[in-house]
Amino acid sequence: MHILLVEDDPDTAEFICAGLAQHNAQVQHCDNAERAMLSASAHAFDVIIFDRLLPNMDGLDAVRILRASKVTTPIIMLTALSDTADRVAGLEAGADDYLVKPFAFAELYARLKALARRQPLRADTLELVIGELRLNRTSRKVLRAGQEIELMPKEYQILEYMMQNPEQLITKTMLLEQVWGFSFDPKTSLVQTHVSRLRNKLDKPFTFDMIKTIRGSGYLLTGATDG
Amino acid sequence: MVSRYHLKRALLSSGALWASMLLLLWLLAQLLVWQDKQIQQHEFSEFLGDIESMLEEHGFEHVLQEFELEDEVIWPEHEAHAHLADEGWLIAVFEQDKLLLGADTHLMTSPTPHWQTVSLGEEGNAELLTATVNLPGGLRIHYWQKRDELHTHKSEFYAQLMYWFALLSLPLMVAAITCFQVKHSRTLQALSEQLAQVAHSPDSKRTEVTTSNSDIITLSVAINRMLDEISRLHGNLKTMSVGIAHDLKTPLSRISNRLQSMYQDLDDPTRLEGHIDKASNELAQVINTFNNLVRLNAIESGKHIQGFKTFDLSALIDELAQSYLPVFEDSGRHFEVSIVPAVHCHGDKDLLGQLICNLLENALEHSQPNAHVWLRLQSHTQSALLQIGDDGPGIPVKDQAKVFDKFYRADISRGRPGNGLGLSIVRAICEVHQAQLCLLESQPGAVFNIEIPTRSVLSN
Repeated sequence: MHILLVEDDPDTAEFICAGLAQHNAQVQHCDNAERAMLSASAHAFDVIIFDRLLPNMDGLDAVRILRASKVTTPIIMLTALSDTADRVAGLEAGADDYLVKPFAFAELYARLKALARRQPLRADTLELVIGELRLNRTSRKVLRAGQEIELMPKEYQILEYMMQNPEQLITKTMLLEQVWGFSFDPKTSLVQTHVSRLRNKLDKPFTFDMIKTIRGSGYLLTGATDG
Repeated sequence: MVSRYHLKRALLSSGALWASMLLLLWLLAQLLVWQDKQIQQHEFSEFLGDIESMLEEHGFEHVLQEFELEDEVIWPEHEAHAHLADEGWLIAVFEQDKLLLGADTHLMTSPTPHWQTVSLGEEGNAELLTATVNLPGGLRIHYWQKRDELHTHKSEFYAQLMYWFALLSLPLMVAAITCFQVKHSRTLQALSEQLAQVAHSPDSKRTEVTTSNSDIITLSVAINRMLDEISRLHGNLKTMSVGIAHDLKTPLSRISNRLQSMYQDLDDPTRLEGHIDKASNELAQVINTFNNLVRLNAIESGKHIQGFKTFDLSALIDELAQSYLPVFEDSGRHFEVSIVPAVHCHGDKDLLGQLICNLLENALEHSQPNAHVWLRLQSHTQSALLQIGDDGPGIPVKDQAKVFDKFYRADISRGRPGNGLGLSIVRAICEVHQAQLCLLESQPGAVFNIEIPTRSVLSN
């Protein structure tokens, strides 16, 4: 993955760069918006990580300018502001995702992967296929190894989102945002309960588990067997 | 005590009052004098008319008799003045420009009745009315009449009155106004002394005034109301700081312990991982507390109100209920949902979603595993009625008033996860929606009733 990181705080930048290096991602780091905008329009990046509060400029305006100059690279905004209104403002400015500081690196990386992969998937894709699992988006039918699985609406939505981002970490927060549209974190095990019910239907009757738990971080949908 | 400020103000205001009263009195006197002169002038005209008709009817001789004038008598200037001073009138009869009889004087004459002021030597000044009567055959009579004594005295009386009023009223007025101001400021001073005391202990004292001045009473009542509010906020602040301190201390000391354990278990990757996991979870709790505080602050600021829309509340609640149903089932509780379809309300969907989540979480956290939890939505004339309740142990009566306070927890040990902000957020969301929130009393378990306006209250 080729990533542009726009972040003025050296500690946060180092934390992100180190994390990305472990995943063999190529990172270019800018500490101000002007240089970042030049880089973003000159080179092709898979994802841009944009801090919201930068010296001399609001990251939000920078993103707006980038979008106006036809830069379509997916952008994830980082911010210390956690309110819904700010989140909405970020998305309206043209960012594709919004992550509130402080965050776990796994959470950021999961979102980066989801954004980098988003492009090949088209909105009108009718059928999603991962290994022996098939999901038809028109009839909302789910088949594993040819066997139909009856899902409740939320379970279907979770699975659909996971199948759009296979083989990568999907965090609890991502599911809360994508499936429930929540900008807040309910205390209880809302996500765990639904994923567990989905697993009971999707994995229990079959030979191997497609949904894996990444401890402390979230879930991962895989088409490959454990062996 | 009379301060310089009070004295200056009293002088200024009484001076202004005095001057304006004097001016008013003077105007009134002038008006009366003018009126008197008018009357006299009118009488004079009538008198001249009488002379004219007397001349026509009885001839010149008769008129001379009437005036007790001898034929061809001429008064030189000083005699004329003396006559005017004694008798109060003067006459001069001319044929063409030749004086036939009467005063040989330089006094002004006028064809119509006219006032003039002349000096009569020792007698002082006198005001005269003068007029000329033209007779056929080139005869002309000038007539002067002194101003009526009574009227002159009246004018003098007015002048005296003004003089004495001017002399006596100023000190009286200064005294009265100073007195009034001192009395007025004494109450205010007492009030400021009380406020100085209140500043030391805002919770203990309230202001008291002994005055019949309704403005000061209103001020005192307003101050007391403000003090009550300050006391309340002061209390909130205390609870909040204690709350924040407690909520941070527990997880932070646990993290500190974990970090120490990590040093001890550096060689054991499995144990090390366990410590990191636990420490991360504790830290997540701290961050969550802060996120909730920020969100609570944002909700309270009311900035969401601009984005309010009318939407299908039934659909939102139904979706949330479906999401929570498995959570309640898995925890062994019975969850009953009854929603009247198509109930709309005016507000922020995301916030109302959180309101319902927080109340459901609250029921989940504070009821026993086999409890009965319910969620009901019905519509009312101008509002949507939402009830979320459980038949758990409920909230002790003594705590019911405080459950919505920030960081308040009935469980003081803070042994359970979470912070005391869930219900504060619920209350803040209700407030921005102008929704009525109440915890039903004398009811087993905790039952929350919320009445959300169906239409925009602001647009009404």
